[in-house]
Amino acid sequence: MTGFARWEVLHLELRDSLPDLEPRDGLGGYRVVFWAGGVPLGHCDYPVELLPLRAPALRAAAPMAVAPVVGSHLLGRGFVAPWPVPWERQPRVAPDDLDAVLGLSSPLARLVGQLDAPDEAAPAGDVSLVVCTRDRPEALARCLASLERLDPAPGEIVVVDNSPANDATRRVTGRYPGMRYVAEPRPGLSVARNAGIRASRGAFVAFTDDDVGVPPAWIGRLRAAFRDPEVLAVTGLVLPARLDTRARLAFELGGESWGYRSVDFDERFFAATRARGVPVWRIGAGANMAFRRHVFDLVGPFDERLGAGASGCSEDSELWYRILAAGHRCRYEPTAVVFHEHRAGWDELRSQMYLYMRGHVTALLIQFTRHGHWGNLYRLFVSLPAYFARKTAGRMLGHAGPASLPLSPRVLGSLAGIVWWARYGLRR
Amino acid sequence: MSYAIFDIELTRPLPGLSLPAERTGLAVLARHAGVPVAFWLEQRGERTGVTAAELAREIASRAGVQLVARAVREELGAPAPARALPALTIAICTRDRPEGVARLLDSLAVLTKPEAGAGHVEILVVDNAPSDERTRALIDSRSEVRYVREPRPGLNFGRNRAVAEARGELLAFLDDDVVVDRHWLAGLAEAWNENPDAAAFTGLVLPLELETEAQILFERRGGFRRGFDKLRFGPELPGNPLYPGGAGIFGTGANMTFRTAALRELGGFDEALDTGAPVPGGGDLDIFYRVIRSGGPLVYEPRCLVFHLHRRELPGLRRQYRKSWGLGFMVYVSKCLRTDPERRGRLLGLIGWWFLHEAWQLVRSAVGRHALPPSMIVGELAGGVVGLLGGYGRSLRRTERIRLEHP
Repeated sequence: MTGFARWEVLHLELRDSLPDLEPRDGLGGYRVVFWAGGVPLGHCDYPVELLPLRAPALRAAAPMAVAPVVGSHLLGRGFVAPWPVPWERQPRVAPDDLDAVLGLSSPLARLVGQLDAPDEAAPAGDVSLVVCTRDRPEALARCLASLERLDPAPGEIVVVDNSPANDATRRVTGRYPGMRYVAEPRPGLSVARNAGIRASRGAFVAFTDDDVGVPPAWIGRLRAAFRDPEVLAVTGLVLPARLDTRARLAFELGGESWGYRSVDFDERFFAATRARGVPVWRIGAGANMAFRRHVFDLVGPFDERLGAGASGCSEDSELWYRILAAGHRCRYEPTAVVFHEHRAGWDELRSQMYLYMRGHVTALLIQFTRHGHWGNLYRLFVSLPAYFARKTAGRMLGHAGPASLPLSPRVLGSLAGIVWWARYGLRR
Repeated sequence: MSYAIFDIELTRPLPGLSLPAERTGLAVLARHAGVPVAFWLEQRGERTGVTAAELAREIASRAGVQLVARAVREELGAPAPARALPALTIAICTRDRPEGVARLLDSLAVLTKPEAGAGHVEILVVDNAPSDERTRALIDSRSEVRYVREPRPGLNFGRNRAVAEARGELLAFLDDDVVVDRHWLAGLAEAWNENPDAAAFTGLVLPLELETEAQILFERRGGFRRGFDKLRFGPELPGNPLYPGGAGIFGTGANMTFRTAALRELGGFDEALDTGAPVPGGGDLDIFYRVIRSGGPLVYEPRCLVFHLHRRELPGLRRQYRKSWGLGFMVYVSKCLRTDPERRGRLLGLIGWWFLHEAWQLVRSAVGRHALPPSMIVGELAGGVVGLLGGYGRSLRRTERIRLEHP
């Protein structure tokens, strides 16, 4: 891993005084996330070549970096984020109400006040929070410690111990008397999540993973996003806890950026993207999601052929696919933010990429057979090969930086996905 | 062909714009409390004017995000402690254009009055190889302006004379065909305050008038505009593999300011560029390139606004495309190839990109989807080829002869 230098993630409250960003030995750069009172508003990346950056210059750059997000919170229409699918033609959204824009004063204070208003802060007593884990007691301990500080607190927290090798998870959970321990001997993340659904009672079921830390407001914000009765599933923003290894940096910079504005994924989104495969993987991440409980009666539980421990992943996005296909709505709500520990090692990242693509391709084929939507095959046999061809050409021209995501495990994983589906996907 | 230009202030009630019959279009500059937030051109079409409501909608659409950013900036407040602008020398390098110098000095007089709160400002007019005494006569009537004569012809000879003469810690260059906006100095002070480490500053350039076809053509092709966001350029620009070689990404020489010490460390301007008629361009690109390569940073501040008098006649514009941009640009790139071997790959990439880009412009022009006629783009291309084929070497020899003639 020659030439890698760690990045630092800085969380800055905009209304406080900002620091000077200094270069240091062994520092590759800063990811600066701007906040106002617990609301994430945007980020800027400063590789070390652009340092030092003094506080006044950072302060000068921040307003433009956060303006669209501030606009979307306070003014809505005109500042609505596009669907995160840049390859689709979308109608241009532009602000149209000049008086509203000119009338903004102290927007950050207003934004924070609006989110803290009593009618906005939903109680979360009707939310069951499910954490699925498998033999990672240290990570789980950190995760549970942050869950215990949730305010408002969820009605219950269920820890599902998936096919454990020992009783470490039971002991860690036992330290928190308010949390319930459920053992699920059959391996697989989907199996564990379904066990969590069965073992819980709340009208809403939220999920996070054992490699995640959450701020206190998280579950309240996730719950508040269900105000619209049409919304059956909510996802939130996943920020990197740290970017101290090459694998973590590549995962963050090479992956998709989730954005800081909320997005509604509805029947229009489904119809507009269906012909080329609905990009449900852009809706969110399993580490930060919630559902109305009756979804599982409406469209069924997580598909146990998918997910970690089975095909590899995409059990979350495949469920969102069923929700959208049935004409319902998913919402991405970035004020519900969590911090994720990406895989630290390069080999771990490679195997994760392999499993991601194996799971993705299996999900495409399952979505095709279940719904008969040909767009899934278009994605598999046209878009993905074209994407890999472009990436390969780029590598041959030397466009890959030290923090590019590995390509070969993704190609192999895609092929393996077809094999996996042929072996296991046809069983029901 | 002529466009009316409207300067709209958003803190006052919006007017409706009515277009006199002789005008073929309009241009709108929108500002909030003096800060420019949007500029656009519109052909007249069927319209005789724009209602206040239409204007509001258009401004919201173009400047909505900037206006939200403005509100956030106001809430965050100015950086504290505020640093006053240090002593500033404003250099105007000119040749036989006293009316332009007078116009610019008038606009500067408003800003630099002591009651305007400006710090120490020195105005220096460098009269470059004049053919008569009109400029000297003009300056004689203005006690606040210093006059120096640079006998060696060439804009960069004039600029280097200013570098040698300047007493200010900052040195601004304004062309004799611009007028400064009333907020230009405040904009420079703001950029200085926000970027205490910057080596150079540039700003927005908008048209002073749109009275002829040539002026409208130039502005419709983008003019000198560089947008309404503050920009800060460091040694690298993530996502731009040709950086910092591109043309015009930093701003323009008509409106640029430097730390005088940084200019002196770099050895001033390259006298074989911006030489007047033979190579009327490239000098600003070259100094920006060297500032960036020596660590920069370079800051673009839209509030540092000047208004530029574009060429009125089409032949002048055609010559500008061929020589200032086509030839000047390629002479500058071939100079960089000589002096910066480390960046050879990027510079060759830039040459390739430029020819592809020009070819694409030509195709678009040929099918009628470009503001410029094909002949001007061909002229720009031809200028580029001439510049690339030994243009810098020829210019170096010419410059050496001038130095010998004026010991």
